[in-house]
Amino acid sequence: MIELHRVSKVYSVGPVKVPALRDVSFRIGKGEFVVLTGASGAGKTTLLRLLYRDDLPSEGDVEVLGYGLVAMRRSEVAPLRRSIGVVFQDAKLLPVRTVYENVAFVLRVLGTPRRDITARAFDALRMVGLSARAQAYPAQLSQGEAQRAALARAIVRRPPLLLADEPTGNLDEAMAAEIVDVLKDIGAGGTTIVLATHQARLAAGLRRRTLTLEGGRVVKDEG
Amino acid sequence: MLGFLVGEALRDLRRAGRVAVSAVVLITLSLAALGGFWLVSSNLDRAVAKWRDRVRIVVYLKREPSAGDVAALLERVRVMPGVAGVVFIGKADALRALKQVLGKDAGVVDQLPANPLPASLEVTPSAVAATPEGARELLARLAALPEADEVAGSADWVERLAHWQRLLGTIGFGVGAVLAVAAILTVTTATTLILHARRHETEIMRLVGASELTIRLPVLLQGMMQGLAGAVLALAALVVTHSVVAPRLEPLVNLTLGISQLVFFTPVGVAALLGAGALLGGLGGWLARASREP
Repeated sequence: MIELHRVSKVYSVGPVKVPALRDVSFRIGKGEFVVLTGASGAGKTTLLRLLYRDDLPSEGDVEVLGYGLVAMRRSEVAPLRRSIGVVFQDAKLLPVRTVYENVAFVLRVLGTPRRDITARAFDALRMVGLSARAQAYPAQLSQGEAQRAALARAIVRRPPLLLADEPTGNLDEAMAAEIVDVLKDIGAGGTTIVLATHQARLAAGLRRRTLTLEGGRVVKDEG
Repeated sequence: MLGFLVGEALRDLRRAGRVAVSAVVLITLSLAALGGFWLVSSNLDRAVAKWRDRVRIVVYLKREPSAGDVAALLERVRVMPGVAGVVFIGKADALRALKQVLGKDAGVVDQLPANPLPASLEVTPSAVAATPEGARELLARLAALPEADEVAGSADWVERLAHWQRLLGTIGFGVGAVLAVAAILTVTTATTLILHARRHETEIMRLVGASELTIRLPVLLQGMMQGLAGAVLALAALVVTHSVVAPRLEPLVNLTLGISQLVFFTPVGVAALLGAGALLGGLGGWLARASREP
């Protein structure tokens, strides 16, 4: 499903080289729920960006869902991304659209037949427990609800891989627990999940395979 | 999918608000100017074509040839380059024509001791000879006929009319082009605002794997919609102006230019104007897109 082989990433800020990832190698199998943890700046977001091909490694190989991302042509990026759901710390909901429209937007963009859109959007909203708030606008949602809406948008295409970058970063413990429960439910359906979080307690409480990043290196792979 | 793309384009237009309205107004002005000059120019073109057909060169003969010589003379003229047709007018024919022109005063002619009018050839130049250059060359050839006494006629004034027609066309094109550039820049500005407003949508679309066509098309479409709206308004303005002005001007142009009716655009012309509008708007949308996305 996911395989990284000796991956390094260096950002250039003028003449200064800033290493974000150093010699990272690991493999994630189909249906696994993997927690990526580490302090802010450890390289979690960089790693996730490499997985949905928002960036390229400076060295090494990245393979996701059978696609070799380093040699991938630009035209192949869209097909790859159709198989990956991504959630961010800020929900990135479109403010002028309702929750339902935000979720349906993804299906409309991808040319899903109109008759399927409503059913699939409501399936996703039910899965995250937000169908009652379908007609609400993002500004009317709590942060936890906004994050659940973002999750619904990420899973509405039923992607085999879900990447979550600090989805609980802005939430209190109770709301974070809600999101984690939703992620567990999604994982139980067979979706491979990579959850990046700096919250060590949350990572420990999940009792899943955990990759710990420190200064751009994987220093622990346990569980 | 088409419904989605058009829906997104309409949503973008609403977002652009007043800037989009300004763009539509500028496109309307540019196409109305372009279309107005085009209409005047095409009507003048009709007048020029009509008058070119009426250009005649008259070769006055030294003496009236015999019936047998007339046929040979006509044949010699007919084969000359630049001649489309030739008619012989005998002295008696010329006198009859003069009497017709004089009408009730025709009796004056009967007082003359003899017919003073010369026999002549009325030459119709072909299209190539109905220009100042062509006419001059034909005049020289006709003057060289041994039977010719004097040659009269030219295409100068028709050319002057054609010159005005070309000048009007050029002015119209120039004014239209300046306004069109302004319109394109306004659409570009409106589209840049739209691109900024829809950056979150674009980010989500890229993230979920939308094709580049799906991402780009709404922006291009909204530009084309602005252009098309401007073209429809310009066309409506031209229709109203034509229907009000044409009946009042037609008697005057009939008298001066000899065309009885001021025509409007053909269906092809209407389609061209609408297409030009869509093209202007689409170009503005494309330029904004291209400048923001290397």
